[in-house]
Amino acid sequence: MMSLDGIRREISHIDAELLHLLHRRMELAVETRRFKAEIVNPEREQEVFAFVQRSAHGLVGPAFSRRLFTEIVAESRRLQAEDYLLVGFQGEHGAYGEAAARQALPDAAYIPVRTFGQVFENVAGGALDRGVVPLENYLGGVVTPVSELLVERELSIVGEIRLPIRHCLLVPPGIHHRDVRVVYSHPQALAQCREYLRRHNLEGRPFYDTAGAARMLFQERPEAAAAIAGRLCAELYHLDILGEGIEDHPENITRFAVLAREALAGGGGKTSIIFATAHRAGTLFRVLQLFAERGVNLTRIESMPRGGRPGEYVFFLDFEGNATDTAMADLLDRVAAMSTAFRILGSYPPAE
Amino acid sequence: MNIKLAARTAEAQRAVRVGELEFGRAFVLAAGPCSVESEEQMAAVATAVSAAGANLLRGGAFKPRTSPYAFQGLGLAGLKILQRAGRETGLPVVTEVLDARDVPWVADYADMLQIGARNMQNFSLLKEVGRAGRPVLLKRGMNATLTEWLSCAEYILHYGNPDVVLCERGIRTFETHTRNTLDLSAVPALHHLTHLPVMVDPSHGTGRRELIPAMTLAAVAAGADSVMLEVHHQPERALSDGDQALLPAEFAGLAAKIFALRSALARLPETVPGRRADNPGTDSGHDMEVK
Repeated sequence: MMSLDGIRREISHIDAELLHLLHRRMELAVETRRFKAEIVNPEREQEVFAFVQRSAHGLVGPAFSRRLFTEIVAESRRLQAEDYLLVGFQGEHGAYGEAAARQALPDAAYIPVRTFGQVFENVAGGALDRGVVPLENYLGGVVTPVSELLVERELSIVGEIRLPIRHCLLVPPGIHHRDVRVVYSHPQALAQCREYLRRHNLEGRPFYDTAGAARMLFQERPEAAAAIAGRLCAELYHLDILGEGIEDHPENITRFAVLAREALAGGGGKTSIIFATAHRAGTLFRVLQLFAERGVNLTRIESMPRGGRPGEYVFFLDFEGNATDTAMADLLDRVAAMSTAFRILGSYPPAE
Repeated sequence: MNIKLAARTAEAQRAVRVGELEFGRAFVLAAGPCSVESEEQMAAVATAVSAAGANLLRGGAFKPRTSPYAFQGLGLAGLKILQRAGRETGLPVVTEVLDARDVPWVADYADMLQIGARNMQNFSLLKEVGRAGRPVLLKRGMNATLTEWLSCAEYILHYGNPDVVLCERGIRTFETHTRNTLDLSAVPALHHLTHLPVMVDPSHGTGRRELIPAMTLAAVAAGADSVMLEVHHQPERALSDGDQALLPAEFAGLAAKIFALRSALARLPETVPGRRADNPGTDSGHDMEVK
């Protein structure tokens, strides 16, 4: 039966959804900036007004619809004039990638992108200014699809962020902790919270994404269900936090890279390169020897099979030093000369 | 009765650790409101009791109330408030857990789990806290004998949790002037029977603010390892048990007397009953009989 409280709860939920849709609309408007010379396009605006007046129906009349969209279009123009830096991340709003992007580049517009490949493509093509992608997780290891894209695509790393992954148990408001039975999240997040789930007698259900699971709770409000996702999702999807920092190992950190089309002017104290060597004894050793002789501290070395060439590997090397320094540039020239393939991914300031 | 784990043995006294506190080795002064009511209330009370020398913060989030219409507590939201107040003042927190289903949730936020008087013999709850990996404060049931009480402690010990503190909080007698009759003879008696540390709760034990100071000092004199006091910055507005809450200033005055009494007792020759290393007036090496 209908009750005033019930109706008001429903209204609040619709308001939250309206704001989400408006946010998505503004986001798209800001994205159009990279595709047009002028912000104001009277023809397009008339098209929008005609459409919303035509589509208005029932209690929402054409005049109100027009008034409402006059406001929306004005705000959209204002936002476009702000000329936000467009930063893409993989996943839904609230993903750890977005948390990393916010940490790396405050006051930007954070654009959700479906796949890692699309993050690279959109940055390369100019639709986005920066991309933020995970390189490795200290518990889970290398993010292989990203490594492959770094090899294939000619983007530069211009920054890195270390993001502590603190998982939260989230529920729609008003759900009592005793009523929670199942927990949706990405399989990796579920695995990282296995002990917590066991202790609280909760059943994990795999979902395509942590933030996606939080968003599903917000939209579908299933009974007896919770999600594991970052704190940002609690804010974005109006969820209650039943537990925070619920991962079994607190030293759960993911390292993210900031990608751009151009290398960072002046570089920074840390450099990433990729190279491949001829399939002969001692070639990798001789490359590493160059670094050792000059006392350069290596912070990461990783090998990956080279696509389509069985038995051949490409190496990822991170080290302390700036590729724009003369001595370092000289060292890297020698590495390049010894390699069958070589590229500087970027020099950038190291994360804290 | 078999209380092989709780029984006092000749072995060295084992302290119950809660954060940096060591029950049984150093005196613990627990204080805080009956119920967690709001962020402001907890911050005000926690700051005041910490400044006065309390080293353990209490606050109820799940409340066992005589009437179903009385305030039932803030639940998980209350636990978050309590945890924050504890972190900001640097005090570990103790809070009651009412239901076996809540144990892992409460253990996420509390440093010590309290089993209330009404749940002393709730055996499924005792088993659950036995497995929770948090020290337990076991209150005496209002009509429980010492033997029954120790059997309940034995449950928790048996299910794998060695850290149990007993809390005397008054028993039901024919007297109606007081809410309960505070059984202070339980303190030396328990020290005789068990190695578990003993706390006294004069707030529930009397239910009357004017009786609390005298009975608190009596508990300290009787050798209690700890006392717990209810403090509220606005008792007349408290959502539960306002009649037995001390004002912060009253608590501070009483705390000063507790510390003074303890150092006075420490200077006495060996006439005061007790046997613990830190117990005032006792030679820590001697195993004293309480007559």
